[in-house]
Amino acid sequence: MKVSFPHMGCITGYKRLMEKLGHEVIMPDTPTQRTMDLGVKYSPEFICIPFKVMMGTYIECAEKGAEVIVSSGGNGPCRAGMYPDVHQKVLEELGYDTKVIVFDNMFVDFKAFYQKILMIKNNTPTHKLIGIAIFCYNLIKKMDRLEKQLKIRRAYELNQGDFTKAWKKIVKMFEACETNADLRRAYKKAIDMYDSIPVRHVEESDRIRVGIVGEIYVIMEPSVNKNTEEILNSLGVEVENVQYISDWVEHNVVPKWLPFPRSHRIFNLSDKISPINCGGHDKENMGWVIDFARRGFDGVVHLMPFACLPELVNLGKFPAVSEELNLPILSLSLDEQMGEAHVKTRLEAFTDLIRSKHYAKQRTRLDDVAETLESAAKKVGDKVGEVRDNLTTTPKTPKYQTK
Amino acid sequence: MKYYLGIDIGSVSTNIIAMDTKYNVCFNQYIRANGQPLESVKQGMKKLRDAVGCEDEDILGIGTTGSGRELAGVLVGADVIKNEITAHATATLHFHPEASTIFEIGGQDSKIIILQDGMVTDFAMNTVCAAGTGSFLDHQAERLGVPIEQFGSLALSAEKDVRIAGRCTVFAESDMIAKQQYGFSKAEIIKGLCTALVRNYINNLGRAKTLKPPFIFQGGVAANVGIRKAFEDEVGEKVIIPKYYNVMGAIGSAILAKEYIEENKIEKPAFKGFEQLELEFKPTSFECNGCSNMCEVIRVISSDNEVLAVWGDKCGKYAGTSKASRLAK
Repeated sequence: MKVSFPHMGCITGYKRLMEKLGHEVIMPDTPTQRTMDLGVKYSPEFICIPFKVMMGTYIECAEKGAEVIVSSGGNGPCRAGMYPDVHQKVLEELGYDTKVIVFDNMFVDFKAFYQKILMIKNNTPTHKLIGIAIFCYNLIKKMDRLEKQLKIRRAYELNQGDFTKAWKKIVKMFEACETNADLRRAYKKAIDMYDSIPVRHVEESDRIRVGIVGEIYVIMEPSVNKNTEEILNSLGVEVENVQYISDWVEHNVVPKWLPFPRSHRIFNLSDKISPINCGGHDKENMGWVIDFARRGFDGVVHLMPFACLPELVNLGKFPAVSEELNLPILSLSLDEQMGEAHVKTRLEAFTDLIRSKHYAKQRTRLDDVAETLESAAKKVGDKVGEVRDNLTTTPKTPKYQTK
Repeated sequence: MKYYLGIDIGSVSTNIIAMDTKYNVCFNQYIRANGQPLESVKQGMKKLRDAVGCEDEDILGIGTTGSGRELAGVLVGADVIKNEITAHATATLHFHPEASTIFEIGGQDSKIIILQDGMVTDFAMNTVCAAGTGSFLDHQAERLGVPIEQFGSLALSAEKDVRIAGRCTVFAESDMIAKQQYGFSKAEIIKGLCTALVRNYINNLGRAKTLKPPFIFQGGVAANVGIRKAFEDEVGEKVIIPKYYNVMGAIGSAILAKEYIEENKIEKPAFKGFEQLELEFKPTSFECNGCSNMCEVIRVISSDNEVLAVWGDKCGKYAGTSKASRLAK
């Protein structure tokens, strides 16, 4: 089968999985203006931007001859739950023979899930399937780890663009991997590549860290969020994104009662502020915000599609949460018309804000230390004075009395 | 005398100021750019040179801000290129260190900045529409045949209140026309418009923020006494308008340039000289056909055909080809 999938951040994992299962992969292009235009033209007008971009991608894939599009779904009040049906309908209306297959949470409807697995697995024997699953999980796990590092180390590069170039090479390297041993070698080589890039040294206490939360598609796809992470990095800010494909897999596959992954714990962190999940990732995101505050991050950038319901719920809570946690939060609402300059100006101003706050915090910390030292010195001084006073006040009895 | 310069290239105006080393503003100029920011920068710099009587070596540093900050920064050779929010806050804190809330309304955007202990703690910028900005007032002044300079004082002369919808310019305009057909006077309608604009501003930007006095109101629209009055009615406090309300962004960027130069002990500023500004700059654009993004790439070319700056390419294909980026390396 000719298989394709939406473009969402790094897609090497999906590509390798489908190839290993013996499918021909139609690679979706990075969303461009044309993707956006196609998506906007054929989508319901009031739908959110992830739907539109995915619609555009699907049409482009269908044009290139994709027979099946594999995607992940959602449940709850978020509109993502009805994406596949509407996407399917639009594709049919346009006269494409492409089928949209969606993998939902397998614990909700296991039978349907299993049937879809059968369709995708392409008669691969089960023992092979396990091997493939392990390989692909290994691949996404390693790539995600490298991507996490990229977003931290890129903040300190001396020549702008070095890390991004290296990352592009790393992606190519992983695409060529065939075995688990290849993956290990590629990972080691990638780390060497990172290490060889010249960076400026920044003291641990001077590092500025920002967390990114929000709707999963817009935070994972840089072409939709106007390269928010790269802009922040270029301003010298470390970035931590809360969504990675390997984390998503772990969150959905590992049973909730197990102690890992962390995302289960994060989910419960926000129980007080968000007692129920409104759909999408609103409860997790609130949990992440609390987690970032506890880990001493300097700020949070919240990205949401314009009119996204779950994230609007969060948006309403943020002013109070931000005050309580003493953590600045910048919300950006994304839609097709937003120019990059708008995002840049806001991110720049936000960086200035958190930077000055960071140094002010440091100063107060230093002031505290100085104060303690001063009071200690004063105490010592007092003590010394006291002893001296005692010495001077005690009447001196001359040792030798002369007549 | 030695000077620091600040240039603020906004959507409607280009503002240029010169500041001496003791933070005294020696020259300030608010130029309506009429869509030609480059020309107005050239004009403004020429005027500055004549008025202050300074030479190239008297310029210790330059800061640029505003939506055209990068272009202007490349053309004049800026030491600091900063966003509007930081620039405005810096200037306000210099003149009014006690300030807590800044209302800033410019041509195309409006912002609110919350300060605490001399630091920006929160800010918001208008996102989707221009309902609460200078351009809309300009447009309505033209429609009613009232010169924009008299707009505010006319609003103050109104005796009655007229309610005008403020959510969106389309609603506001149709409401204004309806009210005018009922026979309300121009002054009353303008007053209603000022109130609606301020209401919209506070609802949009001040949402869920605690606005504390002292309030500072700056930006081009601060010249409008009608809006100022509407702000005072809304917040129930006195609203301070700084002396240089319309060039605060430029002052802020000059202060930032001074701080930057002094902190890093830079001996030679990036300023390219007044002569350089006399030369012709030509912005050209072309559509790149490398991928389906079809980016509109903008290039600024000097008279001797050298590419000074490149913008607009999403993939960064042309980003390394300009003089500015070569110099940066």
